[in-house]
Amino acid sequence: MEPNPGTLAGSISIRSDQEEAGFESLQFREEIQRLIAVPPENASSFTALLELPATQAMELLHSPHSEDGDPAPLSADSLHGISDDHKSYISSFNGNLAFPSNKALVERAAKFSVFASGENSPETSLVPSNSSANLEKVKSEPAETDSNPNSSQPLISDPTVESKTQRSAKRKEREKKGKGCTKKSKNETSKDAQKLPYVHVRARRGQATDSHSLAERARREKINARMKLLQELVPGCSKISGTALVLDEIINHVQSLQRQVEFLSMRLAAVNPGVDYNLEGLFATESGSLVESNFPSMVAPLVCPEIPFNGNRQHYQQQWHFDALQQPLWGREEASHTFINPENSLLSYDSANSASLHSNQLKMEL
Amino acid sequence: MISKGATWNSNSCRIKFARRFVSALLHMRNRNTRPGSLTIEGVRTHTQRIKIAAYLSMAQAVGSRRAWSRAVLSKHGSRARRHSRMGRSSVGLKKTRVIRSYPPGELGQAKKLRQLVPGGKTMDMCSLLEETAHYIKCLATQVKVMQTLADNFSK
Repeated sequence: MEPNPGTLAGSISIRSDQEEAGFESLQFREEIQRLIAVPPENASSFTALLELPATQAMELLHSPHSEDGDPAPLSADSLHGISDDHKSYISSFNGNLAFPSNKALVERAAKFSVFASGENSPETSLVPSNSSANLEKVKSEPAETDSNPNSSQPLISDPTVESKTQRSAKRKEREKKGKGCTKKSKNETSKDAQKLPYVHVRARRGQATDSHSLAERARREKINARMKLLQELVPGCSKISGTALVLDEIINHVQSLQRQVEFLSMRLAAVNPGVDYNLEGLFATESGSLVESNFPSMVAPLVCPEIPFNGNRQHYQQQWHFDALQQPLWGREEASHTFINPENSLLSYDSANSASLHSNQLKMEL
Repeated sequence: MISKGATWNSNSCRIKFARRFVSALLHMRNRNTRPGSLTIEGVRTHTQRIKIAAYLSMAQAVGSRRAWSRAVLSKHGSRARRHSRMGRSSVGLKKTRVIRSYPPGELGQAKKLRQLVPGGKTMDMCSLLEETAHYIKCLATQVKVMQTLADNFSK
């Protein structure tokens, strides 16, 4: 089994330089089939292929995950344990490999490690986002190590060692998941091989794998998360299902809140000139408190005919006396201009409040 | 932990808003000693000014962290107010021209929501929803504060 992985890895690594996707994928699959025929199909075979102890292999693969700092030196350290026949074909490379290919393969190895550990499909959606974030870090590492061919070799060994395992992993995944998505996984491999410099996200079963649809899906998930938050904020929205109705409810809520602000500002405007915050100066008379209580009730009805009520604020309507609506309306306007006439006209009203109110008004105007 | 953060946030927001709003009200009332305030029009103008003061003080309490507060502040800032009072300025016209190219996604209700939330015209759907959530939270605190104020002062 030892010569097989060596030759396979060598052939694969050579071909990765050329980057001819479709041809590559076919070749890979045949080789992987040969490879798979021999070892047993379980997770431990992955580590057996690497010929490393399991922990070290996991560490190697998880190093892009950890976000702890330098994945490349870590991998370099753990790769010192690789056997000589691996290193023999490693040395055949210059340092001129396309580093984007390394990143993508490393990332795919990382994904496979998740499969090996748990086979949790929900994790895969998280892992790709993590690993895509980590790709940035891994990218910075090759840039630094570019000048140093010695340390670049361990990096090269990573993809070469891991590429065959990924191919085997993909093969296993395909076999495990069934025939329905073979086409899609084929497209996946070919497209992934083509798009090596770009970010990769493992697609779920039955979903498209273009970068556009992936971005759209991410965007949709974001929007759905925000909608959920909004549903919690707006009372009575969590029971409603469907985006359109929820949005309607949200719009209604915002509108009602804005209307509330308007009514409250009206109340405050009514209160404001009547009640002063200093409680000194303006209302020097003893009837000050009486006026304060009555003034808002008299002034508010003035303004309320103009505002469309639609009946959603009950307690506002209770305070306003619609009986006295029309009369104070022009009674008020006259009072602002003349002193004498309003007094006479107002004395004809039933409410004693208005009389005291007007007496105070006169005082204010003085 | 989430609820704790939320209450702390709303408390500080509320306190800041209350302070600013009350000081604005005082300022307005001190300015507004002429007798014209007793007419309908006077009261209406006063109401309008109080409403604007409420929104402004809320936006100031939030600061420039949120897009909607920035939009409110720019609309009702001292300079912008003079421009808008003088008539349609070039700023307003430019804004209307820019709008139409932006809204993607769910069109029908999102349009209405954009009109409601300040600054919502130039946001994409995702940030619009986020701003709406924060805006609703702040509006609720605003209403509560104004309610207690009105209750206390009309007794």
